[in-house]
Amino acid sequence: MSGGTAERKMVTCTVKPAIHLQIGEAKSDTAQSGVSVVDVMLPFGKTINIQEITFKNYYTASVTVRLLRKKPGHEAMAKWCTALRNLVLMENPHTEVGSQDYCSISRSKMEVDPDHVTCVRLILRQPSSNWLTFSLDDVQLYPHTEMDPEKEVADWLSDLTLVDQHLDIEGLPDPQMVSSSIQQMWALTQVMQSDQTMASIGRFDVDGSYDIDLISLT
Amino acid sequence: MADKEKRRSAVIAPGVTEGRGSRSESDREFLSQAGVGELIRGAILKMVEARSDDPIGFLADHFCNLASMTDSGTVGCGSDADQLNNGPLSAGAREQQHLNRALWHLRLAHHSQRSAYSNNVRVAYDLLNLSEPCKHQGLSPEAPNSSNTESPTEGDGEGAEGGGVRGSLYTQTLQCLCSEGGVPASTSAPLLRRLHCHDHEAVPYDVFRHSVLTCAVFSDYIRQAQRLYAGVCCPDEGPASRALCLAVLGTLKEALETSQGCDSNCCDNANAKANPCLEANVKAICYLKASAKISPHKLSQAMSRAQTQGPGGNMDAKEFENAAADLFITRVKVVS
Repeated sequence: MSGGTAERKMVTCTVKPAIHLQIGEAKSDTAQSGVSVVDVMLPFGKTINIQEITFKNYYTASVTVRLLRKKPGHEAMAKWCTALRNLVLMENPHTEVGSQDYCSISRSKMEVDPDHVTCVRLILRQPSSNWLTFSLDDVQLYPHTEMDPEKEVADWLSDLTLVDQHLDIEGLPDPQMVSSSIQQMWALTQVMQSDQTMASIGRFDVDGSYDIDLISLT
Repeated sequence: MADKEKRRSAVIAPGVTEGRGSRSESDREFLSQAGVGELIRGAILKMVEARSDDPIGFLADHFCNLASMTDSGTVGCGSDADQLNNGPLSAGAREQQHLNRALWHLRLAHHSQRSAYSNNVRVAYDLLNLSEPCKHQGLSPEAPNSSNTESPTEGDGEGAEGGGVRGSLYTQTLQCLCSEGGVPASTSAPLLRRLHCHDHEAVPYDVFRHSVLTCAVFSDYIRQAQRLYAGVCCPDEGPASRALCLAVLGTLKEALETSQGCDSNCCDNANAKANPCLEANVKAICYLKASAKISPHKLSQAMSRAQTQGPGGNMDAKEFENAAADLFITRVKVVS
């Protein structure tokens, strides 16, 4: 509502393929571990302030969100921090409930302010062996748009909320009654005005006398 | 078996013994030939639309109108010769009758019932159109947006196809509407001046419809203003204070100016805007802004300010009514 009719735009980012973590060095093809990591990279050099992260779950039990934040300034180092630890997506990892839900993590739910973020790392966990694979689909980042509340709320709108001011209405007619009458009169005038027609009575049209062929000087 | 049942319900005159079966059959045939079903259905539909308080009176009026319509229905068409020497009624009385019938139709539904009211206005217009069958096309200029394209030299017997309602009838209709609505003549005079059409002019349907609606809305508006004055002034203390009345009317004026400002803004951008939703949003915001000016809070502010700061003196009911009427009338487009 405060943004008017502008739609929120998601930031273009690259979602890297998931990497399943292994213990030790041996890579085994037979079974994947229950932890995988998905990195969401922003274009080089670009940072965003995140408003929201949305995705579609695919059999992931819980997700941890880590952010690589870089303070503006050349000498600042980028630091990793945890924005959200173990957000549960499936209450029971062995059952279907919540397995294909659409989820959204908003800025307010995060433990740190997701500002000046260059990379988002999602750590997916699925301890149950019921599912062959698990992932998050269609990860999208939405940037935080600065809103100027002073400009957004019009004066007349904020006036409406000032109901607590007690005015001295002794001896004055009931404002509710007066207001209701005035509102009806206003509405009636609007009805009349909105019905106005562009039709004219053609007072000065005499059967095509303005037709170019018929104009004569006699 | 079926025959016997029918016979029981039919009234059988003594001595009439033959053809009973055919008699009850002919009842049914008679009803369908006379079109009674249609008549009754039409009457009931009209009644549902009008919801009058006096159903018997309403039905009586309805059938009376129908009867006189079918009597004079042939008058509207035909050659010139028939116009002048028909029926027991003179042209003036017939015109009066048409006017009364048109007004009856216009009274059936309140203007807030949009579709019923529009239908009634259409019927009234057609009625008033019929009452002037021999129009000389040359004297009654057709409106540019009139849908009929008759050339001036065609036969002028078809009143229903004519250019419009005669100006004098139109003026009489509006005057009756205003006075029946409880608006004193002096208050409605400026309005009627704005909507004025000359007696010889032919009023097209759109102008007629708009003027009739304006008068109906105006009568409601004046009644509301009268009620407002009664509420603003305390009857035992005499007329209301001038400052108070001016303050109250001032808030109405502000609201009207705000919403009028929006209308003109929207029109200005008509070419530039590509998004109808945007325009609707802007209009909605304008209306909200206007209505915020007449909230109870704003009114109590204005009234308490008037108590301390406004001009002295009193304003009587007539002056208040005229001032309120003025706010309305200045927004009525002049008919031209």
